[in-house]
Amino acid sequence: MSDASTPDDAEPSHDHEHHHHRLEGPGYATPQAAIEEGGREKLAYVMSLYVGTDVDAPDFVAVVDLDPDSETYCEIVDRIELPNRGDELHHFGWNACSSSCHVEGLERRHLIVPGQRSSRIHVIDAKDRRNPELAKVIEPEEVYEYDLSAPHTVHCIPDGEILISMLGDADGELPGGFLELNDDFEIEGRWEPPGEIEMNYDYWYQPRQNVMVSSEWGAPKTYYPGFDLEDVEAGNYGRKIHFWDWEDGTVEQTIDLGEEGQIPLEVRFLHTPESTHGFVGAALSSNIFHFWRDEDATGGDERYRAKKVIDFEPREHEDWDMPVPGLTTDILISLDDRYLFGSNWLHGEVWMYDISDPSNPRRADSLSVGGTFGEVQEVQGRELSAGPQMIQLSLDGERLYWTTSLFSSWDEQFYPEEGERGSVMLKADVDPRKGTLELDEEFLVDWGECPAGPARAHEIRWPDGDCTSDVWQ
Amino acid sequence: MTSHDVTLEWPDGRTLTLAVDEDETILGAAECDGAVLPYGCRTGACGTCSGRLLEVEGAERDADGTIDACAVDDAIAYRRLSRALKDRHRAAGYVLLCIASPRADCRIAVGSSVHTELVDNPWK
Repeated sequence: MSDASTPDDAEPSHDHEHHHHRLEGPGYATPQAAIEEGGREKLAYVMSLYVGTDVDAPDFVAVVDLDPDSETYCEIVDRIELPNRGDELHHFGWNACSSSCHVEGLERRHLIVPGQRSSRIHVIDAKDRRNPELAKVIEPEEVYEYDLSAPHTVHCIPDGEILISMLGDADGELPGGFLELNDDFEIEGRWEPPGEIEMNYDYWYQPRQNVMVSSEWGAPKTYYPGFDLEDVEAGNYGRKIHFWDWEDGTVEQTIDLGEEGQIPLEVRFLHTPESTHGFVGAALSSNIFHFWRDEDATGGDERYRAKKVIDFEPREHEDWDMPVPGLTTDILISLDDRYLFGSNWLHGEVWMYDISDPSNPRRADSLSVGGTFGEVQEVQGRELSAGPQMIQLSLDGERLYWTTSLFSSWDEQFYPEEGERGSVMLKADVDPRKGTLELDEEFLVDWGECPAGPARAHEIRWPDGDCTSDVWQ
Repeated sequence: MTSHDVTLEWPDGRTLTLAVDEDETILGAAECDGAVLPYGCRTGACGTCSGRLLEVEGAERDADGTIDACAVDDAIAYRRLSRALKDRHRAAGYVLLCIASPRADCRIAVGSSVHTELVDNPWK
């Protein structure tokens, strides 16, 4: 199973691999190399789910054709069905990325696909990029043995091992932690000493700086059933980010983002491996925080700082009782570290900010599409039933794609039609030079037309690395 | 082994009556019978499998029409803590079918729409 043991089995998947010695590792030497050598995305893998509905079918990984010259452009050309129902596929990742560029023989070949609700972890062999196959399943009981559940963010760590943020203990309560898999996709154990954190969600690491940052959602038993203001008032949702010693797996510093930092979800360092700057989106407060290492700071290890730099104001809606928050559910940074993109799921907005000066983001452009306030409410006659949610950007930063499902139970609260109609995947053309976004009305992928019934669509990945999974050493 | 008749009722009018042993879960019994019910974690944490008690044999109803809370507690035994349910949900007769075993004959509303009743859009 180990991808490091079968170098001769490697199937070149993009031009980049032809340029290098065959025994070099996966990915790209630098973020700029990814931009130059990656080529246009031709396929996407998209988490697709039926959990929580009455559709008698398991969740699946959709393979979407993104090649404009293909006859099946904008179609789901393959579906990797998983063996069980009830998983809630959510986030996923590769067994190897550019952080292992130096590891000879390692391939970016296996997708690690956790079930958020089931705690089941699937390994999909994507050697054949258009027809991936399920290779292995780690059952929930094996995960619970480490008193962890609710797997979320998957990153490879250099040398072929895999780290998964886990949001709860075996009972769906706090604390969460991290589960480590070895390069044969067996559970190695807990990565961190238990008790380092209470809440967990997303994480990102910057190995050259020996730092990892993690964020907080809440206990699985809190967010699984749906969003409840009682839980906000009770302090059951997170508002902290944690800075870790990457080698030791221990927390060095915790920053409480306060009332304006409620539910910090997606967290990203800049791609440049030297950088200590990053951003985190506080979903409920609908703010973006910039964090950075303050080299002039004194006071022991407390050297990271965080400051709110973008504030999305709630909006009044005549049919809603209270001002509606944007609900900033996803952010990403372009590979050239020039733009921060994000989605305000409730408002119905995708946006891009110039972060050339990360302390002072400058709004470049936005698109009002879907959601509660979106100016565009249908594409190609297909009514949009939810706002932009998970986003993914092309390596060259010229095409931004997004899906519309957040989490099945939260969808049901805010956009109940999403379950009835299914999700869509949409695209905007980005002009990085001018800093503009333009909706591509020719592009639509519709999960409402899946054979077993309408499905939800969540996270998007490219076969050969993307802006939200690749890390550089 | 004592069993109880559990009648599942879907929104579209379908019903299914199962004899569920006291040591099996209602979800497990339904699966053995080939019935499709929504579920997620199977540990009582996520609420995806929620059903709502419509009737418990011999139980009185409160003034607001809900089944007496004591009767709800007596009708269902849990093999783990029902973490996904808050007190208000339990009082209203919601049941996590993945960890619930019957202790009385009962009728339960099932299907994904039951789960959506647990929380509203707080802004609307």
